[in-house]
Amino acid sequence: MAKNINGFNLIGKPMAMTDARAKVTGLGKYADDLSVPGMLIGKILHSPYAHARIRCIDTSQAEALAGVKVTATGEDARNPYGILPIGHDERAFALGKALYIGDNIAAVAATSSEIAEQALDLIRVDYEQLPAWFDPEESMKASSNWINDERPQNVEKEYHHVFGDPDKGFAEADFLAEERYYAGEVNQAAMEPHATLAVWEPDNRLTVHSSTQVPFYLHRTIAAVCEMPMSQIRVIKPLIGGGFGGKSEIIPLEVAACVLAKKSRKPVKITYTREEVFLAHRGRPITIVYLKVGMARSGKITAVQARVIQDGGAYCGYGPVTVLYSGALLGAIYDIANVQYDGFRVLTNKPACGAMRGHGTVNVRFAFESILDQLSHQAGLDPLELRRRNLLKAPCITANSLRVTSYGLPECIERVFERSGWAAKRGKLPYGKGVGVACSHYVSGAANPIIRSNMPHTTVHIKVDRDAAVTVYTGASEIGQGSDTMQVQIVAEVLGVSTGRIRLVAADTELTPIDLGSYSSRVTFMAGNACLNAARDMREQIVAAVARKFGCAAEDFETRDGRISHKEDQSRNLSFDEAVAVALEFHGALTARGTYAPPETARGGKFKGAGVGPSPAYSYSAQVAEVTVDTETGQVRVDKIVAAHDCGKALNPLTVEGQIEGSVYMGFGQALQEDMVWKDGRLMNPSLLEYRIPATKENPEIESIIVESIDPEGPFGAKEAGEGSLAATIPAIANAIFDAVGVRINSIPITPDKILDALREKQKSAAGNKANASKKPVVAGVSR
Amino acid sequence: MHLQVNGEDREIAVAPNRLLLDALREDLGLTGSKRGCDDSSCGCCAVLVDGTPILSCVALAASYERREIITVEGLGSLGELDPVQEGYAEMGGAQCGYCTPGFMIATKALLDRNPNPTMDEIREALSGNLCRCTGYMQIYESVKYAIEKLRAKSAAQVPATR
Amino acid sequence: MTLPAFRVLQPRTVADAVCILGDYGSDAMVIAGGTDVIPNLQMRLFTPRVLVDVKPLHELAEIAFSPRHGLRIGATATLTNILETPLLRKEFPVLAGAIGTVAGPLQRNMGTIGGNLCLETRCRWYNQSHFWRQSLGGCLKKDGNICHVAPGGKFCWAAWSGDSAPALLTLDAELEIASPLGMRRVALCDFYKNDGMDRIALARNELLIAVHVPAHMAGRRGVYHKLRVRDSIDYPLAGVAVSMEVDSAGICKDARVALSAVNPAPMLVKQASESLIGKTWSLELAERVAHAAIQTGKPLTTSGSTPVYRRDMVRVFTRRALEDTWENGHAKA
Repeated sequence: MAKNINGFNLIGKPMAMTDARAKVTGLGKYADDLSVPGMLIGKILHSPYAHARIRCIDTSQAEALAGVKVTATGEDARNPYGILPIGHDERAFALGKALYIGDNIAAVAATSSEIAEQALDLIRVDYEQLPAWFDPEESMKASSNWINDERPQNVEKEYHHVFGDPDKGFAEADFLAEERYYAGEVNQAAMEPHATLAVWEPDNRLTVHSSTQVPFYLHRTIAAVCEMPMSQIRVIKPLIGGGFGGKSEIIPLEVAACVLAKKSRKPVKITYTREEVFLAHRGRPITIVYLKVGMARSGKITAVQARVIQDGGAYCGYGPVTVLYSGALLGAIYDIANVQYDGFRVLTNKPACGAMRGHGTVNVRFAFESILDQLSHQAGLDPLELRRRNLLKAPCITANSLRVTSYGLPECIERVFERSGWAAKRGKLPYGKGVGVACSHYVSGAANPIIRSNMPHTTVHIKVDRDAAVTVYTGASEIGQGSDTMQVQIVAEVLGVSTGRIRLVAADTELTPIDLGSYSSRVTFMAGNACLNAARDMREQIVAAVARKFGCAAEDFETRDGRISHKEDQSRNLSFDEAVAVALEFHGALTARGTYAPPETARGGKFKGAGVGPSPAYSYSAQVAEVTVDTETGQVRVDKIVAAHDCGKALNPLTVEGQIEGSVYMGFGQALQEDMVWKDGRLMNPSLLEYRIPATKENPEIESIIVESIDPEGPFGAKEAGEGSLAATIPAIANAIFDAVGVRINSIPITPDKILDALREKQKSAAGNKANASKKPVVAGVSR
Repeated sequence: MHLQVNGEDREIAVAPNRLLLDALREDLGLTGSKRGCDDSSCGCCAVLVDGTPILSCVALAASYERREIITVEGLGSLGELDPVQEGYAEMGGAQCGYCTPGFMIATKALLDRNPNPTMDEIREALSGNLCRCTGYMQIYESVKYAIEKLRAKSAAQVPATR
Repeated sequence: MTLPAFRVLQPRTVADAVCILGDYGSDAMVIAGGTDVIPNLQMRLFTPRVLVDVKPLHELAEIAFSPRHGLRIGATATLTNILETPLLRKEFPVLAGAIGTVAGPLQRNMGTIGGNLCLETRCRWYNQSHFWRQSLGGCLKKDGNICHVAPGGKFCWAAWSGDSAPALLTLDAELEIASPLGMRRVALCDFYKNDGMDRIALARNELLIAVHVPAHMAGRRGVYHKLRVRDSIDYPLAGVAVSMEVDSAGICKDARVALSAVNPAPMLVKQASESLIGKTWSLELAERVAHAAIQTGKPLTTSGSTPVYRRDMVRVFTRRALEDTWENGHAKA
């Protein structure tokens, strides 16, 4: 094994994922691939009404159908649940009221999916329709028929934050921009539709295999809903076909399968159709942003004021967290002293929104980076230069009490400046072509857990036995992002062995210690650190035994290339196998553990809502998009996106690049073509045919650049890589469109008709002041 | 009925409305082919039939008797991966892996017919498949890896055949 | 989504197929590639007792071209087979262009020309699951009596959404149809009824056998422009096909313009030919024909894009298609 330039054997080297062979041979099992003898197929009955009182449900005809083994309704599992302790408003099946088209009313388990589907048609439900709310700004005005009686005016939660002195800041501004931005709703659309297999075991325990990013929360929730002790439930996460946040809270089919399994005492599998995936949703909410930013002639931002309204759908979900992230991350990427934030999470009669990749930050970032572009134009300042003039000086604490320990944004900006040919292109390309820049950042996990406690966020156990295999027990959930591989690399690096010696047992609540889950980009930082701590503990034990054998001090030994060797006297060395035998004789058993909890200093301020936003470290991204706009059709082709991402340290550059590119791709989709189209609470495009995630031909070329700021607390300096880049892509494209054709589209997705309308508007106003027909006259926002 | 899958003759009883995808997954236990959509738009279920990639989710199993079907499980073996599989494993083409069988089937069909495709030809050949993880860049790298591997392989075979 | 229960019959001859279709009437549906039929069955848009699988009728898959007899494409020839036919791109560029835009290669490997010419019309209130449509109470086309596109109306506006039909319309294609009385030929332009509910003039006991393109259409310049969001997979939101014969002096000898996805039928722009024949290229003329095109195209809100925008694009695409085939084609010639 060659030592690389950083002094590591494995860290920093591209490595194929440890589960790659299982995936490319088709032998790896995802939840829907699993089956057990006697398994029943479950199907869920959904509400056809957006808001309706349920007068009665009659399942008797369904139960009488041959092949139907069990039915379930709200009465079978009355305990409420929800991902947030302050938002337990969901139930296995609606009790009393159905809150959206698609809400879960009842379920059946039968010997085949055909029979289960027929049975659904035989369930009689008597509904009384109620007035429903679909538009968030209208919903906030509701004086009656509230969606949740405990949420007056249909406001799930509101937060009002003031940092510094925004009034003073605006008074000092030489330039002011004020705009309304609108972001349509988008769905994760992971390629794998959700599936859950709940197996009732002979000893009356329940084993649940589910497509989840959060097996630990699922474990807790099933215990609460099924009224069983957690000790009687085992949750196993199989391979996951993508999450992006869509599987990061408890999804209705998971509880439905468990309720059916418990009631029938049989194994029950439920797999969503693609339409049901959209109805379960948990995607990014429709977001309306009223944004005002003041800037001094120097380019320094003097004040920010934002009013953000999020259309959360009918249930709480992650809602309060989403709206808090929007506020916390809005200004904290730059050095901004004065910020006012008013955030509203509003209920409507639509499927619940959730924590989609870039949770809470994406839509406000679109607004913020767009308005910066506008201000740069007003001030006659290069937009990239504007960003340079507002950088933080890390380490520091932001106005809203976020602790920044490493800050690679300056380097990200310089790298994309060079690689994109910015200086030669900005404002200089022919009409119809343009470049745009934008930045974004994201947390490396939340410093405060969802359920507040002082317990570790992650624990890792390592066992080494006589076979000298190293078994790592980790709760962290591999969902395709490469977390298993990252942990294998860390342990192998520390122990100086090849990755082939490491066996990872992951995300099985019966075997592995707790990890809170794969969300908010926490795994590399938190599980990575726990792995590092556990591996160091194991290394110490083995080296201590070897040192004792040779009568030397432990610190004289190094672990490398499968050997434990004396640094000076190479003759004193043992192979890893020999060392393990020596260590077992000395210690009796070789077990090690590592935990991670964010330090107190990373946990943020004391104001209401201060708990969301703080992270042990933040990632940064800068991007330049180059576009071609067809001014006659309004169609936009994104020719290239150059994305630089500060991930602290790329433990595995292959997967880091994959994450950056995947984020940019998803941002591209939201920028131009993805949109959940609603009509009176009815989703008009619940399919991959009509909800248009990008395919190969329109997708842009993406150049990913890794920037390594080496975070002082990250494992080997690593921090977030999987989400932070998404948010910059959208405004980079929007700003490039402005550079190309001189119109600003403040509403995403930026569809061709919006561009044509804006171009016509611009032409009209240009005709108004006929004076110049120059290439790019300044135009105001077109959103109002 | 008889299905010729991955070089084996398999006999199964299927209802007339059984889809090939379900026959493969449920009757034959070949769960490598996936269902990602319900409207023939994602390509996760692609299999080769007589060398041509098709969507098994809109194919009635009964219509495919006596056809040579290759699924992802039949592309290579654990002993020797197909170069296409190697490419997707080594170059990051498989992140979550769910669309990967379909992409590999489409790639295999492309390279069998055109061992030296241009970037545009690669994009076109894969334009009936959707991936939500990679942004496609590492999929292209995976295809290029397979092309190189196949080229090296055929170069190595030339002297042997002479 | 499950499929309804049905039997699959595999006729051994065309006569056999016609016989079965006659026997089962509205209980039977023809299936070939399955890319349109199967999702429609899963959504319970249809619940036939019998599917007549015409794929085993190998003679229906044949493609033949000769300068004397023109092009004959059997109904079950896959779109990929057609694209790979030697000389197709050269002799019938508008058809090759149109077929190349259908969905993606996987779908084209299964989808047949017959299926593409007999596609069910599409509407966002119709192409939805059983649950979705039930929650709405159905629509005029299926299980209901209200049109959600044009409330109050009694006409179904579901849009013709195929790509090959407009191309073939510009080539004066004819269809060969087997019926109990024998073979009949019908001009493609007479095949479509411009009714979202009852889209084609094909009786329950008839089977589409082949499409013919007359020999004199070979070698015509042509192009198909398709409005869609993605560059693959999507059905057209609007489509414009142009084919024309231009002499060495650049004078248009003959021309056709046809539209897709903006009416319940693919449609020839009637005034286009009159306006173009005998003329030399001018932008103004192209604009005039483009204007005629938007008199023909009457899109409604049947898909994700707005009618105004789709109509607008019919205009732009028509002009561009004329530019591509005439001006640029001439310059190259």
